[in-house]
Amino acid sequence: MARVLLENVCKYFDDVVAVKDVNLEIKDKEFVVMVGPSGCGKTTTLRMIAGLEEISSGKIQIGDQLINDVAPKDRNIAMVFQSYALYPHMKVYDNMAFGLKLSGIPKKEIDQRVREAGDILELANLLDRYPKQLSGGQRQRVALGRAIVRNPKVFLMDEPLSNLDAKLRVQMRAELQRLHKKLEATIIYVTHDQTEAMTLGQRIAVILNGELQQVEAPLNVYDRPANRFVAGFIGSPPMNFVRGTIAKSPAGVYSFECDGFKFDVPADLGQLLAAHVGKPVVFGLRPEDIWDVPSSGWIEQKTIVESKVDFRELMGSETYVYAKVGSVSLTGRVGAMADPQPGSNFGLVFNLRKIHFFDPETQKAII
Amino acid sequence: MALPYYAKKRIIDVIISCFMLLFLLLTLLPVGWMVFSSLKSSSDIAIGRVGLSRNVAGQVEVHWDNYVDMWKNVNFGLYLKNSLIICGATMFLAMILSTLASYALSRFKFPGSDLFSNTILATQMIPAIMYLIPLYIMFVKFTVLTEIPIKGTYTGLILIYSAFFVPFSIWILRGFFASIPKELEEAARIDGCSALQVFWYIALPLARPGIIATGIYLFLQAWDELMFAWVLTNGDTMTIPVGIRLFVGNYQNRFDLMMAAATVATIPVVVLFFLLQKHIVKGLTAGAVKG
Repeated sequence: MARVLLENVCKYFDDVVAVKDVNLEIKDKEFVVMVGPSGCGKTTTLRMIAGLEEISSGKIQIGDQLINDVAPKDRNIAMVFQSYALYPHMKVYDNMAFGLKLSGIPKKEIDQRVREAGDILELANLLDRYPKQLSGGQRQRVALGRAIVRNPKVFLMDEPLSNLDAKLRVQMRAELQRLHKKLEATIIYVTHDQTEAMTLGQRIAVILNGELQQVEAPLNVYDRPANRFVAGFIGSPPMNFVRGTIAKSPAGVYSFECDGFKFDVPADLGQLLAAHVGKPVVFGLRPEDIWDVPSSGWIEQKTIVESKVDFRELMGSETYVYAKVGSVSLTGRVGAMADPQPGSNFGLVFNLRKIHFFDPETQKAII
Repeated sequence: MALPYYAKKRIIDVIISCFMLLFLLLTLLPVGWMVFSSLKSSSDIAIGRVGLSRNVAGQVEVHWDNYVDMWKNVNFGLYLKNSLIICGATMFLAMILSTLASYALSRFKFPGSDLFSNTILATQMIPAIMYLIPLYIMFVKFTVLTEIPIKGTYTGLILIYSAFFVPFSIWILRGFFASIPKELEEAARIDGCSALQVFWYIALPLARPGIIATGIYLFLQAWDELMFAWVLTNGDTMTIPVGIRLFVGNYQNRFDLMMAAATVATIPVVVLFFLLQKHIVKGLTAGAVKG
């Protein structure tokens, strides 16, 4: 296993900048997830690490070796593709053994390694089948098996779960985490699915427009998004954003005001807003930090905003309420017992310990 | 008339099947006629009798002996051998060249690759007969200048056939190679393949149905080709289409033997087709990507 180092990595396709100045260190045995909307450059970055795409400028190192000009086969990596890319004319066994055969490993060892991987992934009784005889989940496991048997320094995974159905995806997520522990592997994983990013990554790297936005542990990214984009991308339903201004009362209390509601910011957080008094800011609050009155008793610092319910989504375990306060639309995740009727008034409780503010010009987080 | 949906569908299916059957009959009719005529006597064909004639005892006469005489009347065995050698070698050479070229054209971008593709297509727009006289002169001049015999040799015709069929096969095979998902080749590169190994282990096996189908098509084209074979072969190297004409000439009119020979000439092609038909069936790539 090895660490992977990206230094000022750029990729241009003619005039289009696909990846801009990415600096990222992935430690040995780390599971890093690169996440972003489609077309953000995350797959291109992965393909540059794999050697399938030339690096326009910058440096990539695997271990201590600079690999800018090293052929994919000599980089000691394995890649799992979104489409699995199993060789359709080879049986499962040969799919997994192909790379080993090419590198001239003795037959006996190949057999041992393929069977071992087959056991880990529960493929033992599928080894004589052709890929077309397998289900999606089984194909996925073969694709993983093909990567595992080669015992590479780094695993690269390009949206490996996106072709699976929802239930299988959850199962494979658990499987991948188990594998990571067992193999003690360095894994770089690309996805557009933020749930995958949150659950799988030890660190997640959020990418937008070819630029790295934030690289941190999942919960840090969730709790302390670096900018408005990260805040809006991570979390579902997405964070509420409301434009407004900051005011400071003669008593030194900072408050946020917008077209619809107004609240006082808790004193310790308010101080961080000092430079923004009288200026426009973007207020952010996640739906899960908006509660209904009956279930908000435990919240110490809160404010209640009266809203008019637009519509709601009953999820069973919880209810999403889409409501309007003045001209402001808000989404709240309230208790399943709350039954907000469309058109009725509904008290939304903001948990003020969880509020965010962003600078509307730079989009950077203030709090 | 308001028929239920499935009843209507069934009626349409039957009508379509009838049309296909009719078409099949129309296609097979000349073939049947050929086989039937090969069992008649020469004189029956000459007088245009439709059925088989009867002998003095009133029995129907089936002239199986035509299938024996055809080998004696002209040197049919030699022509068969020549055809097999020339068509086999043509298929082999043309397929090697065209698989490599079409793979390169479908996968790599290099200076002039587009020009090359289009030129290939352009060559197909000139009728083959336009090449006949220039090629004949070339063959003669080549031998005059180098003293290497080429007109009337296997090599001459094999080269001409290959040159004619390669552009066509490149164009067909390019589509087969282009339909192989790129990711399979990328996976192979990561698995440790060089460019040539990717071609050999991944692209070639996956394009096999297309390669076999194209190969058979080439073989058939060469097998049936008359014009160039007539002009560019001699008595020792003439192929079946050229040789078969000898049954009908100045001194004899043996249409019965000609039909028998034509029937025999069809057999290798039919056998080839049946042997390889399961390879021609596509769907091998199903399951490669998603499902």
